Amino acid sequence: MKVLIIDDSSTMRRIHRNILLEAGCKDEDIIDAEDGEKALQLANSNNIGLFIVDWNMPHLNGLQFVKIIRSMEKYSLTPVVMITSEAAKYNVMEAITSGVTNYIVKPVKAEIFLEKISKYLT
Amino acid sequence: MKAMYINPFLNASMNLFKEYLNVSVTVSPPVLLKDPNELKEVSAIIGLAGDTVGAVVLTFSRETAIKMVSKFSGLSFMAITNEVIDGVGEMVNIIAGNAKKDLEDYRIEISLPGVITGNSYNINWPKGVPVISIPFQSEFGDFSVNVSMRDMKV
Ligand SMILES: [Mg+2]
Repeated sequence: MKVLIIDDSSTMRRIHRNILLEAGCKDEDIIDAEDGEKALQLANSNNIGLFIVDWNMPHLNGLQFVKIIRSMEKYSLTPVVMITSEAAKYNVMEAITSGVTNYIVKPVKAEIFLEKISKYLT
Repeated sequence: MKAMYINPFLNASMNLFKEYLNVSVTVSPPVLLKDPNELKEVSAIIGLAGDTVGAVVLTFSRETAIKMVSKFSGLSFMAITNEVIDGVGEMVNIIAGNAKKDLEDYRIEISLPGVITGNSYNINWPKGVPVISIPFQSEFGDFSVNVSMRDMKV
């Protein structure tokens, strides 16, 4: 199963990748993008089984990205975990109504992140 | 500028550096930043918009930035690389985004982070609003989180 990590911070992309590797994902099954636009291209050319997406990114942000993939038949039900620094309740509500499956506030310890995403990795 | 605007940023910073990164950190009482352009060598800035106008600046010496980002990313950096700059930017993003949790009565949007390095630079602080500096002491050196926010409509 392919996982797509989308975050404009290369540090965050590395942290997420390391956690997924620790969870048993194969390196070649983890792909990443630095904004929603690039992620959309990857989503079109691959079959993604899990999206891990940041909110604040240039060009196309995480929320806009989620709305677009939710309108695609291919990804109408695919798990989307949003992991973002945005901690206000109104942001969480907006993300959930836009189609996010699970919302995690950064910074999150690796164990807790793993606990929350492990159910999507099988 | 109201004091109640400062604590959310102080708490978010302590959560990031102390709880998450496990760095030994203490904080001193916030002070007025006398010369708003006198910051350290590596500064990450994020703009605030919505019910307020403002800016948040996290500022480190080079050495502190390198050590703090090494801890954050799990790599050991020896110099200010693009990755160190990225890490400092992501830290201010986390502080600003997390602070919104304690300011939920207001609608605030945060900008993308920007990072500047060097000794003299100008930050676009909101006009006529004081800048409050929160001084931190850590095992990696001193740093500060600086906040300036126009009072919000109640
Ligand atoms: Mg981001």
